[in-house]
Amino acid sequence: MLEFQSVGLSYGGVKALSGVNLLIQPGEQVCLIGPSGAGKSSLLGLMNGRLLASEGEVLLNGEKLAELSGKRLRERRAGIAWVPQDLGLVANLRVNQNVACGLAARKGLLGLLRSLLVMGRGEKKEIANLLRRVGIEEKIFSRVDHLSGGQQQRVAIARALYQEPQIILADEPVSAVDPERAKSLVHLLTSLAGEEGQTLVMSLHDVSLARRYFDRVIGMREGRIIMDGKPDEVGLEDLYRLDE
Amino acid sequence: MRRRWFFLAAFSLFLLGLWVLGARLGDLIPSESGRKAAAEFLGAALHPAMDFENPEMQDREHSFIEKLGRALWLTLRYALAAMSLALLMGMVGGVLGSRAWWSRSTVFLESLRVGVRLLATALRSVHEVMWALLFLSAIGTSPLAAVCALALPYGGTLAKVFSELLDEGESSAAEVIRVTGGSGFAAFLAGGFTRALPDLATYALYRLECAIRSSAVLGFVGIPTLGYEIKTAYEDGHYREIWTYLYVLLIGVVFFEWWGARVRSLLTRGVAARELGEEGSSLKALWRARGRSWFLRVSLLLLLLTVSGAWLVEDQWGAGVSWEQRMKNLDRFTGEIVPHPVREAGGDWGEFSGWLAAKMADGGAEALWRTFHLGTVAILLAGVVALVGVRFAARSLVSSHPRGVREGGVFWQKSWALALRAGAMLGRAMPEYILAFLLLRIFGPTVWALILALAIHNGGILLRLGAEVIDNTPSRASSVILAQGGTRTSAFLLTLLPFSFNRLVLFLFYRWESCIREATVLGMLGVASLGFLISDAKVAFYYDEMLLWVALGAFLVFLGDISSDLVRAKLRENGSVKRPS
Repeated sequence: MLEFQSVGLSYGGVKALSGVNLLIQPGEQVCLIGPSGAGKSSLLGLMNGRLLASEGEVLLNGEKLAELSGKRLRERRAGIAWVPQDLGLVANLRVNQNVACGLAARKGLLGLLRSLLVMGRGEKKEIANLLRRVGIEEKIFSRVDHLSGGQQQRVAIARALYQEPQIILADEPVSAVDPERAKSLVHLLTSLAGEEGQTLVMSLHDVSLARRYFDRVIGMREGRIIMDGKPDEVGLEDLYRLDE
Repeated sequence: MRRRWFFLAAFSLFLLGLWVLGARLGDLIPSESGRKAAAEFLGAALHPAMDFENPEMQDREHSFIEKLGRALWLTLRYALAAMSLALLMGMVGGVLGSRAWWSRSTVFLESLRVGVRLLATALRSVHEVMWALLFLSAIGTSPLAAVCALALPYGGTLAKVFSELLDEGESSAAEVIRVTGGSGFAAFLAGGFTRALPDLATYALYRLECAIRSSAVLGFVGIPTLGYEIKTAYEDGHYREIWTYLYVLLIGVVFFEWWGARVRSLLTRGVAARELGEEGSSLKALWRARGRSWFLRVSLLLLLLTVSGAWLVEDQWGAGVSWEQRMKNLDRFTGEIVPHPVREAGGDWGEFSGWLAAKMADGGAEALWRTFHLGTVAILLAGVVALVGVRFAARSLVSSHPRGVREGGVFWQKSWALALRAGAMLGRAMPEYILAFLLLRIFGPTVWALILALAIHNGGILLRLGAEVIDNTPSRASSVILAQGGTRTSAFLLTLLPFSFNRLVLFLFYRWESCIREATVLGMLGVASLGFLISDAKVAFYYDEMLLWVALGAFLVFLGDISSDLVRAKLRENGSVKRPS
């Protein structure tokens, strides 16, 4: 469970977020929507402790994230996957090696080194199964920079799922693809997260995708939450106004 | 950058440099005897020796080809052994000197990082020939001295460049690992190091090529590599033998350049996985179809074997001198590098400043000044040659469809380009020191021989880099000029050159630093500059003076290195220019 209590965030005197109160229950699928600079990425950054709130508290399962550090912070983070806008893949590694990086926290340094250099048969099978679910099993041993943009996005999703997280955070993961591909990727991520009962928080620009695939839509503007509810409860006109 | 000021400053520096160095245009015309020697020497190029030129030598047990093979093997062996050590130093120093490695930033850790970077810069500031002189003086002639002399500056260079490559745009993959709970080490390993690995390998291969050239040059200070054979053959007047050694060196360097380029390309672009047809898509079949390169595998195996061979074949790394004797030599050397007034005053370092001032007044300051100008004049000359040559060497300008616009009439364009590229390749492949040695025999004892040697080598490098920049410049304006009836030259001058100017200047500064470094040793060939003083002090066994001049040379290179880094960083900021490889 993620909870924001009167959270504010400033970068060098500029307020990125202010007065954010939010509760996200386990298994919820939440879409953050709003124009560029609305504070969506900052909100996501606070959820995995990449950023520290200037005001208020962010709580993960009742624990204050700001008070965690070192090993305890890493342990909590191991349960939160992150798909950044630029996907964060290592271009010159193979798909299976990139996916294996999802378990970096649990494997430790030596385990990760083994996965990168001489991955065992069991792990290869496990990753192949996961890649089958995201539809690119045949690319398991291809270098990431030999894949199309859409395939790379699926690798990033597979890496997030391989982590077996309780929460998946995705920061505009489909901003650079055409509408059809964006639809299929959002569908893929929401259905896979749904199957495992994982919490999904994704920021998007596309209102129609938000309405179609998410349980809950949070609208943001100028660092504030200005609407929060089920897609059919939130006015369509309000959403489109956000998208402008 | 204000181009007008840049050109004005460069031109003024060039003229000032010529004046300081006393380089008169008339010296470029060889004397009667010089012309005769040059004609004889160049004529021998067409008839390289396949046997000893001295008939008395032909009956000896070992043939000329065996001697040649041994010199080549020693050149390669010392280069490979030194590079394996340098790589180790470079990896450790590069990782410790990079910001990406240290996930936390404290005053202590930052000092440690800066300390490692400074140590790396200091190690590379001393030229390998100078390191060789120091080692030879300290422990005597031995293969180990040659390997250490190469390994230290190359290790420093690799450490400095590796740390920059590791820091260059840390990948968001590292951040993902860190943010999802991975340790700083794991993030560095998977997200930073693996991302930079092709670049690290690329640079190490380029340095291997340089190490082969440097290993050959060490022959001029007594290490039995190709340079040694070239020097002795020249002293005996055996010009045809010299050409055989030169051709073998050129073939070796050009081969390593080709091989390195192939490996670089495979590492950077990777090999595409084979499409599976009816074999199905079982994990086993997919694994068999993965992209792999036999060329890379065989290259890695051969490299491992030759590096192991380079270390294991030698059974006398210490050249048969006992450990005790070596320690005695070292003890004597460390005693004698202390300035003699300090020694005579029973270790009172108060005497040092007076001695230093006297030495600087007695030619040291002038030699330092001349060395700076030697490197600067040479790089400016190389820059002008490359700037003019780039127009005729860039593939995108000499094709029948320059910049995508049909032109035709390419025979002369392509012939010029081919000749220029071949000339640039030969210039690059030939070490400056050997070039200077040969040019001094043609022009006589004039500083022009050193200027030209530096300019030819660096001009070759700048021409290649410049042509690549022009070919990769995506300027539509050049196509417009050509489509409207403009010439290739006008497209180059009006659009491509202004567009890529900052990048070209960046390369000039990158090579300027190398030119200064090289200029510190070229004086050893007998032309007044720091190298000349070093050589003089070595012959007289004045080790304190020798060390002083070496340190001054290192200081000059250090300054050149830092100022070049600053200018390049500024240029990168302005023009988002990447490091040349």
